Amino acid sequence: MASMDLMAPPGANTGLALAEPVPVRPSRVKARIGRVIAGILGVLLLIFILGPLVWMGIAAFAKQWKYPSMLPQSWTLSFWSQVFSSQGLLPALGLSVRFAVLATLASCVICLPAAYAMGRMRFPGRKVILIGLFATNAFPKMGLFVSIATLFYWMNLMNTQLGVVIVQALGTVVTMTWIPAAAFASVPPSLIEAARDAGAGRLRVFFSITFRLALPGIMVAVVLAFLACFDEAQGTYLIGAPNYITLPTKMYALAVNAPIQSAAVFAIVLCIPSIILMLLVRKSVMGGQLAEGFQLK
Amino acid sequence: MTATSAPPVTSTTQRPARNARAGRWGWLPSLGMASPPAVLVLIFVGVPIVIGVLYTLGYTGGLNSVASTLAVQTYPAVGAGPTLAAYSVVFADATFRANLIVTVWVTVVTVLVVTVIAWAVALYTRLAGGWLGRFISGVAIIPLFIPIVIGAYAIRQFYGSTGFPVSLGRLMGIDVPVWTLHTQGIVVGQIWASLPFAVLLISSGLAAVPDSLIDAARDTGASLARAVWSVMLPMATVPTVIVATFTGVGVMGSFTVPYLIGPASPNMLGVALQQTYASFARPQNAQVMAVVMFAMAGLIGAAYVWANARQAKQSAVI
Repeated sequence: MASMDLMAPPGANTGLALAEPVPVRPSRVKARIGRVIAGILGVLLLIFILGPLVWMGIAAFAKQWKYPSMLPQSWTLSFWSQVFSSQGLLPALGLSVRFAVLATLASCVICLPAAYAMGRMRFPGRKVILIGLFATNAFPKMGLFVSIATLFYWMNLMNTQLGVVIVQALGTVVTMTWIPAAAFASVPPSLIEAARDAGAGRLRVFFSITFRLALPGIMVAVVLAFLACFDEAQGTYLIGAPNYITLPTKMYALAVNAPIQSAAVFAIVLCIPSIILMLLVRKSVMGGQLAEGFQLK
Repeated sequence: MTATSAPPVTSTTQRPARNARAGRWGWLPSLGMASPPAVLVLIFVGVPIVIGVLYTLGYTGGLNSVASTLAVQTYPAVGAGPTLAAYSVVFADATFRANLIVTVWVTVVTVLVVTVIAWAVALYTRLAGGWLGRFISGVAIIPLFIPIVIGAYAIRQFYGSTGFPVSLGRLMGIDVPVWTLHTQGIVVGQIWASLPFAVLLISSGLAAVPDSLIDAARDTGASLARAVWSVMLPMATVPTVIVATFTGVGVMGSFTVPYLIGPASPNMLGVALQQTYASFARPQNAQVMAVVMFAMAGLIGAAYVWANARQAKQSAVI
């Protein structure tokens, strides 16, 4: 509901001339037909998006599932205990968390002050830096990783933890700079001036106004960055494998070799942190914090 | 709170000139604060790309020396001049050319389909609204919550030989093609993964079109289609270009989706790069493919910068 503020701003005439209390008959009928079509397309979209996930979710509990049946013939929970007790899950989880936390922290330290500067101050080179950061996204990921690997060989960073952390942090630079910068920029100057006029000190103004109002945007960036690191597979695979296998890179092997049930269980476990964290910032993401950050100003 | 409740006050004009307080060099601290991410990107994106391009031209020494010693074969430059030997070897390979075609095809189709679906979803939500609109756009956002490895794996199973469409077809006596391990499967996976970002951006673009403008067009007799075409489309061009460029570059450089869903060969360049680099130990050849990717992405990136410049100009006018 509130999450959709974006699509239907308060006071917006969401119905337009189409639906709502407009008394003209033909458009009523049209609106109903339109809604039926939209409903059908909506269901198709639902199957397209959720179908694979539901199918995988069922597989995680299947004991025997014979083609072409729509549901398993018999059910079991044994794959859950099997996956949890299997070797490799916990170490991989530990590595995933460690890399993601380190990379996110590093990214915060490096990017947040920069985001503040770019959001609230004017200085020569601001635009160049803002657009220059886009370089991390402008190059197709796998091509970039291969180029980085060559440098990493020379720097002795290949197959090291530091190497993985750098690659993961690199993937968060744009998110961690652009989104908080937009958030800092949208703090109304009048509020800050009012606080200054009322005698508040520089730090006080920053912490109780600027930072606080920008916090939703910063949180969105931090969560997105953490998840990007936690879920990052391709760079981690190229730089870290075979020494450092995180959960997502482990999934590469499982997807091809493991029985469908174990891979499905593993996949569901891996989804949990993403879903929890994304739900926390869902409102802000849907409210436009993400979109806002991607329009350079 | 949300960006909508407080109208985006990215006021270039009213931002306080507080930096001037320290006189001529007052902006230096700001620049200092802003530079760490730039330095990071310079070292770990700029340098690798420069030495990567040099590597493809045969300069196997210097920063490239360690990778070269690990390679089974390199094509070094003789003397000071560059050589295109690595390029000719890579382009002579029919597999590479097939991979290149697959990559371009998947990228173009994905960008088109994602843009169209995202527009349809965003437009319906904006114009009709209601619970159905909220529901549809909510559904389209779901992949954002799912790690890409998992989404790709789920799609691999779903469209596989024992997956849902094939099974359903079998039960109803229809022959449904298997998409997993085929190019179609890659496209499906790419669309699935790219949709949320596209819907979010285009929705926010359409939300920024004032109702009064649409109403005015309608009041003067424009049909709904006309109002969309002449009012909403022009005002949402920039987010659309952003979506197309980000999706294009993202799809082109992707590894997970084609690796898990695509066929062994021909597959997208992302997979070929990884294999050439790690499995076949031919970093120079992999780098050539990377440079080809960069060149294609360069065209897309130029469109993005152009779109942003255009937006900056627009907001300066308004």
